[in-house]
Amino acid sequence: MEAPPVTVMPITSGTINMMEYLLQGSVLDAALESLLHRLRGLCDNMEPETFTDHELVYLLKGQQGNPFILRARRSLSHPTAPWHLRYLGQPEVGDKSRHALVRNCVDVAASHSLPDFLNEMGFRMDHEFVTSGHIFRKGAMKVVVCNVSRVLVPGNTENTERMSLSHLVELSVLAPAGQDTVSEDMRSFAEQLRPLIHLEKIDPSKQRH
Amino acid sequence: MSGGPAVRISIESSCEKQVQEVDFHGTETYVPPLSMSQNLTKLAQRIDFSQGSDSEEDGADGEPRDREWGKQETEEEEGTVKFQPSLWPWDSVRNNLRSALTEMCVLHDVLSVVKEKKYMALDPVSQDPNTPQVFQLISKKKSLATAAQLLLKGAEKLSKSVAENQENRRQRDFNAELLRLRSQWKLRKVGDKILGDLSYRSAGSLFPHPGTFEVIKNTDIDLDKKIPEDYCPLDVQIPSDLEGSAYIKVSIQKQAPDIGDLGTVNLFRRTQKSKAGPPWHVKLEAAQNVLLCKEIFAQLSREAVQIKAQIPHIVVKNQIISQPFPGLQLSISLCHSTGEKKSSRASPEKPKPDDHLYVLEHNLHQMMREFHKQQLSSVVMPHPASAPFGHKRLRLAGPMAYDKAEISSLQQSEGLLEKIIKQAKHIFLRSRSIQLQLNIGVEQIRVVHRDGRVVTLSHQEQELQDFLLSQMSQHQVHAVQQLAKVMGWHVLSFSNHVGLGPVESIGNASAITVASPNGEYAISVRNGPESGCKVLVQFPRSQIKELPKSDVVQDAKWSQLRGPHKEVNWSKMEGRNFVYKMELLMAALTPCP
Repeated sequence: MEAPPVTVMPITSGTINMMEYLLQGSVLDAALESLLHRLRGLCDNMEPETFTDHELVYLLKGQQGNPFILRARRSLSHPTAPWHLRYLGQPEVGDKSRHALVRNCVDVAASHSLPDFLNEMGFRMDHEFVTSGHIFRKGAMKVVVCNVSRVLVPGNTENTERMSLSHLVELSVLAPAGQDTVSEDMRSFAEQLRPLIHLEKIDPSKQRH
Repeated sequence: MSGGPAVRISIESSCEKQVQEVDFHGTETYVPPLSMSQNLTKLAQRIDFSQGSDSEEDGADGEPRDREWGKQETEEEEGTVKFQPSLWPWDSVRNNLRSALTEMCVLHDVLSVVKEKKYMALDPVSQDPNTPQVFQLISKKKSLATAAQLLLKGAEKLSKSVAENQENRRQRDFNAELLRLRSQWKLRKVGDKILGDLSYRSAGSLFPHPGTFEVIKNTDIDLDKKIPEDYCPLDVQIPSDLEGSAYIKVSIQKQAPDIGDLGTVNLFRRTQKSKAGPPWHVKLEAAQNVLLCKEIFAQLSREAVQIKAQIPHIVVKNQIISQPFPGLQLSISLCHSTGEKKSSRASPEKPKPDDHLYVLEHNLHQMMREFHKQQLSSVVMPHPASAPFGHKRLRLAGPMAYDKAEISSLQQSEGLLEKIIKQAKHIFLRSRSIQLQLNIGVEQIRVVHRDGRVVTLSHQEQELQDFLLSQMSQHQVHAVQQLAKVMGWHVLSFSNHVGLGPVESIGNASAITVASPNGEYAISVRNGPESGCKVLVQFPRSQIKELPKSDVVQDAKWSQLRGPHKEVNWSKMEGRNFVYKMELLMAALTPCP
């Protein structure tokens, strides 16, 4: 690969804080094909990439009320690929006019001994699920269209059950803090997907009951 | 026949006798009727004896009475026909009656149909053909006028529809052009504007320029005047910094750069070949090219600043200067001419035709596009899906605990600038080298000798010089061999690497001995890269003055043999070069017959 241009490619060094900009929406299975077609046309010209992942969510309950959440994810379609550990912070409460959800994000690649390590550290697995779908890419933007399935027997990823008859669509960008043009680009891209799907920012803290 | 009540017809023959003659008094004389025997004879003649016997008896017994005649007739009609019908006296009557009945029935049918007035009507036919001429004229005129009016109406409708069509075509042209535009460029509708994207971002570029253009309708057209040939209902508006045309000029100069000249690259405009295609396409392609040139130059200048080289690269305005070899200067500059105003310098000196290296410019474009393509490869896609984009091997660096060397080997691929400098070096070496079985590499020259030796030389001049000197000495000896073949001299011995004489520091000396056609003289040449050239000539014994007398060799013929050698003062020999000198020597030693 060429020497990456400085301002565009994400630099994952320890000192730069990476933020995840996120927009989410959902689409019924019946409309999935047309959405995939449109994404194929709008996004970068690549062969469509499918994936199947297994995600485990670990909680560390401390003395305070809010537990510390870590997400460990591995690929079922590429078993030799490393695990991916992710920490997502609280969404930034900035000006309301910002179009995407912004939160602090730390991504780490880990070896296959990650679940044991987390257990040793004191984390307990809260829940797990399997997702499978398609990934699209447009520049730095990533569009993931996936369906979520429940794992019936813990640890057994063969036996899964679809949670709903719709697909979850997420548009995300990983960028250093302070770049507000990113959310503008995301919004204009989301405009092009209407009326098939409405992507909007959904605050996860408001979803909990 | 028709379904009416049956009509009884009684037939009786006229019993009138035939008139034979009428005399003056009016008295008619009748033909006497046939007597009984005559009648019987006549009847018998009519009998066909070959037929059956039943009707024969009936026919034979029949008396010539009227009623019985009629009865017999009906009997015979009812019965099977035995008599030949053409001989019946009533046959024609019967036929005529039958046809009369047919016609009467038909007439009755026609009249009844006409009376019903449903399927047929009778109209009187005017029987008066003699209308006055004036009346005819007026009626003809009237009918012609009606026809003309109809035709005029039709023509008017046609002309109206043609005019409408033309108008529609002008309107529809915009949509047709828009369709053509959309088939080649990315368009999207934002509000009531149509925007397009001419950048390479969807092809993998990471250059931040948005590259949006706007599509506008060309409405400054005067319908009354004639439409110009190159009229296009659609026009595109490109960003102002992408106007005009650009190219990247790559050139190699030998002289050292003059500090004052930096940044003043000639912005002449290359002669544009007239491009085919709609005007919007030409415009958009030119803008896209400008964008790509900007991206290439931005990438090159970024690398020139970041990458540390032995001789630092200089980036000034629109020019990058680097020194691949000492004394050699490579200059890469972005020449962007907007094309509207002529530059004040107006390129006073004609640009040297071989100054610009088209190959390197093309390579820059290709490498940039390859970089774009790499961005789109599926190797960059994350598995699992939540991971960030990046090369999949680099993602293993953390879990596998790669050290710096491994990581740098993974990321090893040179930037655009390094690649282009390598290519420039290669071109330079290639252009400087003499064509002598040389494989010019980038940093080295590999020589494959004719006899299979492979020698690798670095860019040091001395090595090349030494090598060439050794080649030269061998070549000279080879030349003597060829010359001998041509002049008819015989090669007595030839060696590329002689083991006698002083040892050469570079390579080996080579030697050859050739004898004249008649054997009297012989020339020996020893040529070494360091020791130079030594030429000895062997004379026949008869020409040597002081010859030791020997008791053994007494015969006169032995004086024909060649004797001792004498060295030739080669530097004083006449001739422009070695080959000429040798030729002269050989010619001098070949006596004329």
